[in-house]
Amino acid sequence: MSFGDRLAVDDVTFRLAPGEIYGLLGPNGAGKTTTIRMVCGLLTPDRGTITIGGRAAAHDLSVKNLVGYVPQDVALYPDLTARENLSFIGRLYKLHGALLDERVDEALALTDLSDRSSDRVDSFSGGMKRRLNIAAGLLHHPVLLVLDEPTVGVDPQSRHAILERVQAFGREGMAVLYTTHYMEEAERVCDRVGIIDHGRLVAEGTRRELVARLGERDRIELGATGDLERLAEAVRKVPGVENAATADHAVHLVADEGRRILPAVLEAANHAGVAVNSVDVIEPDLEAVFLHLTGTALRE
Amino acid sequence: MIGSALVIARKDLRQRLRDRSAIVLGLVAPLGIAALMSFAFKGTDTFHFTLGIVDADHGPVASALIQTLQQPSLRQIVTISPAASPSLASAEVRNQKMAAALVIPAGFSASVAGGHPLAITTVTSVNNTIAGSVASSIASSFVAQLNADRLSVATALAAGAPATQAQRLAALAADLRIPEQAVQRPLGAHELKTISYYSPGMAIFFLLFTVSFTSRSFFVDRAQGMIDRMRAAPIHPVEILAGKALSVFAYGVVSLATIAVITSAAFGANWGNPLAAGALGLALVFSVVCLTALVIGVARTQRQAEGFSSIIVFGLALLGGNFVFLSSEPPLMRRLALLTPNGWAMRGFTDLATIGGGFGTVVLPIVAILVFSAVVGTAAGLLASRAVTA
Repeated sequence: MSFGDRLAVDDVTFRLAPGEIYGLLGPNGAGKTTTIRMVCGLLTPDRGTITIGGRAAAHDLSVKNLVGYVPQDVALYPDLTARENLSFIGRLYKLHGALLDERVDEALALTDLSDRSSDRVDSFSGGMKRRLNIAAGLLHHPVLLVLDEPTVGVDPQSRHAILERVQAFGREGMAVLYTTHYMEEAERVCDRVGIIDHGRLVAEGTRRELVARLGERDRIELGATGDLERLAEAVRKVPGVENAATADHAVHLVADEGRRILPAVLEAANHAGVAVNSVDVIEPDLEAVFLHLTGTALRE
Repeated sequence: MIGSALVIARKDLRQRLRDRSAIVLGLVAPLGIAALMSFAFKGTDTFHFTLGIVDADHGPVASALIQTLQQPSLRQIVTISPAASPSLASAEVRNQKMAAALVIPAGFSASVAGGHPLAITTVTSVNNTIAGSVASSIASSFVAQLNADRLSVATALAAGAPATQAQRLAALAADLRIPEQAVQRPLGAHELKTISYYSPGMAIFFLLFTVSFTSRSFFVDRAQGMIDRMRAAPIHPVEILAGKALSVFAYGVVSLATIAVITSAAFGANWGNPLAAGALGLALVFSVVCLTALVIGVARTQRQAEGFSSIIVFGLALLGGNFVFLSSEPPLMRRLALLTPNGWAMRGFTDLATIGGGFGTVVLPIVAILVFSAVVGTAAGLLASRAVTA
């Protein structure tokens, strides 16, 4: 999929089974949103096919009935009530009358918003809007639910509730395509993860499969004050360090046998003139896989 | 296909009803301004004033002037009220009990026969300049007639008529009237009342604002992700545009019809034959739908849409004669008005109010508006689909 001369998504192939939660991870601009927009029928791929429920999505509007779309930004009318918003969206999916009312009630109950159904959306908290945003994607009972960073800007309590609900969707047999910036969310809810970078799917598998690719590598997190880029640059030169990137006021690096090379890393930091406040040697995880494969931290 | 468009139109109309500014623009403002116009121009459709007469002369010429002022043809315009003295007349004019006054000085009749006739004084007030002008005009006309009589007698005497016949010659001359007079006669069967012009004028002006707030709402929808939300549903992008168009159409029709009914009932505006006016209104609203789609197609952002809409609303209203009578504008402006749908609509509504008649009266304006809509709509159709899928 190209935009002018820029290739946004190139040769991405993945498959979701019913009941599976698939996490699509990638740094900003990696091609996640373009992929999702193609799956939801908002963009038409230049080449290739998207098949949902055994039906090719291109030129078949009815395939959209199989997909529930939950966009990254809350897409609701603030001047309408929760029920009015859901009723409007339900009607676009050809739901009418008693069935529409039933589905709206069901979606409101699933997202714990039944008692606020008659309130205007502009009176909702950020977390409630996020939940209603998800409810809007569920009305027509899709076989595939596409969630684009559904927990951005949400308080911990609401985030927990959303993740619980997403896991429940999977248990109920719905396939879920989930993108997030939060690695711990991907580790918690996703059955399989695809890592996308520069428009290409660079790795795919279960958490265990992906972590196994790291072998004996560890992730080291250096908390520091000062010029973190300079620190990252310095530690990259240490033999055994594969990748180093800055994120969240720390430098993250992947290295063979992390504990063994730690003295050399600290020595390099000292030479770079950056004071290291804390050191964590972390067992291989998705964050380490991501760093290893893309050379960047997910929240960079 | 029409189902989803209706769903979108219904939702848009629900939002518009909740949005008080839309109700103000669509109903309250045009009605309020039409009412203001009605009050502001009240009395200009039928002009009448009280004219004071100070007759210090009591001679035959003064009597002739008073008789002239009491002619049946002038009774609809002026009521004569005698005043005892110039100072009393001035006081009455100042107090606005009289709009103006004429002072015929003592010895005026006698002076007419002499070489230096006395002057008739007109007392006027800034409070009623039109009455002052009319009074001066009446006095001037009378004096002009008088001078013509004097000139006739003097010419006859110079030509050899005996001086003893001067009185008879003067009476003969006084019986004559200047044969050529300008008579104002409206072109149509009815005179165009101000309210009958400004009611459609203001209704159309505020209808044009639909272009602004609908295109704005489209870009707000897009920024809020609602256009993508709709496109993720099993509907065609054209249905989204059709829904927006339907809401504009319904809103425009209801707004125009309501204003027509209220201004007719409350202010006596004449919109002409209801069926013909309705057909003209529908054509006009259709052109507004096309203009809205064009703005949505051309603009890239909400701010651009607001800018384009403002240019369209005020540009069309100025060119189309929504603020001033087209008939009082220069020929170039009258020609430019024919490039605008609202200019044709104003022409159609004016014809219905003056010439009368039915559908035949507005066929040409309707065809012109539909041609305009076809041109704009074709361009908009090519551009607006891209705006939905962008």
